[in-house]
Amino acid sequence: MIKGRYFPAGSARVVAASLSGTRDRLVLHLENEPDAADAKLTSVSDPIAGVPRKLTFADGGVFEAPLGADVDGLLKTGGTFFARLTRLEANLGLVAAVAVVTIGLVFAAYRFGIPLLASGAAAITPAPVVAAMDRGTLETVDRAVFSPSQLNAGRRRKLQAMFEELSQLAGDDGPALRLELRQGGMIGPNALALPGGTIIVTDELVGLAASDDEIAGVMAHEIGHVRERHSLQQIYRVLGIGFMVGLVGGDASQLVDDVVTQASALQALVYSREFETHADLYSVGLMVKAGRDPLAFVGLLDRIVRDAGGSGETGWLATHPGTKDRREAVRKRAEALDGAGETAQE
Amino acid sequence: MTSSETAVASREVPAYLEFSFTGRALEYFGIWIVNLFLSIITLGIYTAWAKVRRLRYFYGNTWLDGHNFEYHARPVSILIGRIIVVSLLIAYNLLVSVSPFFGLLIFLYLLAFPWLLNKSMSFNARMTSYRNVRLNFRGSYWGALLAFVIMPVVALLTAGLLFPLASKLSNDYIGRHLGYGSARFETRAPLKALYGNLGSTILFVIMVTLVCAGIGFVIGSSMVSVGNMIEKGGDELLDVLTFGPITGALIGGYIALAVAYLFYAAGVRNVAYNHTVLDGKHRLTSSVGRLRYVWILVSNLFATILTLGLLRPWAAVRTWRYLASSTGLLAAGSLDHFVDEAAPEGSVGAAEFFDIEGIDFGL
Ligand SMILES: [Zn+2]
Repeated sequence: MIKGRYFPAGSARVVAASLSGTRDRLVLHLENEPDAADAKLTSVSDPIAGVPRKLTFADGGVFEAPLGADVDGLLKTGGTFFARLTRLEANLGLVAAVAVVTIGLVFAAYRFGIPLLASGAAAITPAPVVAAMDRGTLETVDRAVFSPSQLNAGRRRKLQAMFEELSQLAGDDGPALRLELRQGGMIGPNALALPGGTIIVTDELVGLAASDDEIAGVMAHEIGHVRERHSLQQIYRVLGIGFMVGLVGGDASQLVDDVVTQASALQALVYSREFETHADLYSVGLMVKAGRDPLAFVGLLDRIVRDAGGSGETGWLATHPGTKDRREAVRKRAEALDGAGETAQE
Repeated sequence: MTSSETAVASREVPAYLEFSFTGRALEYFGIWIVNLFLSIITLGIYTAWAKVRRLRYFYGNTWLDGHNFEYHARPVSILIGRIIVVSLLIAYNLLVSVSPFFGLLIFLYLLAFPWLLNKSMSFNARMTSYRNVRLNFRGSYWGALLAFVIMPVVALLTAGLLFPLASKLSNDYIGRHLGYGSARFETRAPLKALYGNLGSTILFVIMVTLVCAGIGFVIGSSMVSVGNMIEKGGDELLDVLTFGPITGALIGGYIALAVAYLFYAAGVRNVAYNHTVLDGKHRLTSSVGRLRYVWILVSNLFATILTLGLLRPWAAVRTWRYLASSTGLLAAGSLDHFVDEAAPEGSVGAAEFFDIEGIDFGL
């Protein structure tokens, strides 16, 4: 028998009461009422630490068992999911074990799970959606940043031909590649790749280049972004990180939200460094295939750095961070490919 | 004084009842980490159950006059709400990236906002009970449009001078449309007190800025050695004396502005609660220390970040406990005459939309 208190249907009034009987036939006895009544149970609140169990009956009345009362014993519900879960949550040893496993899981999800899911999601994103994203983005940046290219027709044709040559070597595994030339305006010497295969190169970048190989290197780098679906992966990764943070701090207040937003922006930068390295390496491979100088674009990078000088990080650098570390990686890859090429020829 | 006089007096002097929270950090840590674990291995599906379990823990361990609160939402309906909201958000983002033209949908959203808000408030109120009687919320479209869409914009346009008026409208709106069973709440936050709160907030920002400038001065002047000063002459000294305080003031001002919102919100809560009456006779009270509240949230933030989230349960319990213990009810007579009544059920989708977007009303 459990002594507790009873609320009549829809009322805040309390009556001392007791509940007895078995799961199949519960008997509710109200104080000051001589007759005990059969009570038809409709629901029981799930157990959770510190909260009294409440049993709701068919007539809308609610019986509240005091804390610690053996409701599960009376109703034979000790084996339900939440009954087990409540016992687990109160067992410090098990909680510690769950904590260790969860920390491991969070780390694994962050390090491997999210990148893996992101690249999977990027691969299955329907091509028409991606193409439409390109149109939308191009429309927006054309209005906000770019103006039509001022290069003469001959120069433009030569650049298109060079791009065509690289695209052919890059193969057609993925969206069709397309070169758009624009005057960069506020973003200066720059090149960007949209996920649907549109690659934008600015007049300023062309102007700064000392040779065609330098421009080709940048084009190959951007083609790398498209072929390896970096923009889409980036979008999905940021979503994934946001979701993870939401899980950990799901009940967090405004202040936490603000900081978390800043942190995700930083995280996006970390990811983009990783993608830059990949695109560099892709560029080296493609340039070697095209019989061009794979290291040329490093020179262009240096010139942009010098050009940006006092005005801070502008142009390609703002969207392509970490020039210093990258050059070394590019050189190594080029040497490795070079060596491999020579052995193959022998 | 005779005994009958005492009886009359005790009936007329309202009894002060304090809210209390009996949850403990370690206890909640167990619930929290199990929730997190199950949410990860179910790829997020369990988050709906986790939310219900979290709120049941916090509501259920909040007590007033020997009775606790209850949260009643069903996880499955929360899950459905979340799926709908997430699908709509994804669709919206896709549409916007396909064509910026769809950004205009934001105006539709602004028009729907009051309706969504009312639906969400109705749902959340309806899912909350105390002593077997549920809360309810009966909003009005135009009232919500004025208090939550038009007024905030106007307040921003007046550089914050009308913030207290906006706070009054929104708190009065919520209080006025909230009910406990068949009894109604009524909030009449006085503008004077709200403007006083804005004044204290501005003072708070200035004080924090000045203190940080002072700290900057101390650090700045300790960094330069006396010998150096004599060698390099007066210019160097001047540089050091101005650089430290200015840097300190800039950092301090930035931090102060970032937390000023919390300071202000805590003050508004006090004013609004202290002018809220239930059923025409029971008065709510709130005595949140504004500085203390800011301190609790800021230290919580650092504790949470430095432990990569592991102290989040402790921080959540700490905040909730403080807010509960700062809240009370001046009850004029017994609380057992309330009865439940049918009321709008609201929409779980709207509630989940605000939850996912992190939009929160009140403390
Ligand atoms: Zn790049």
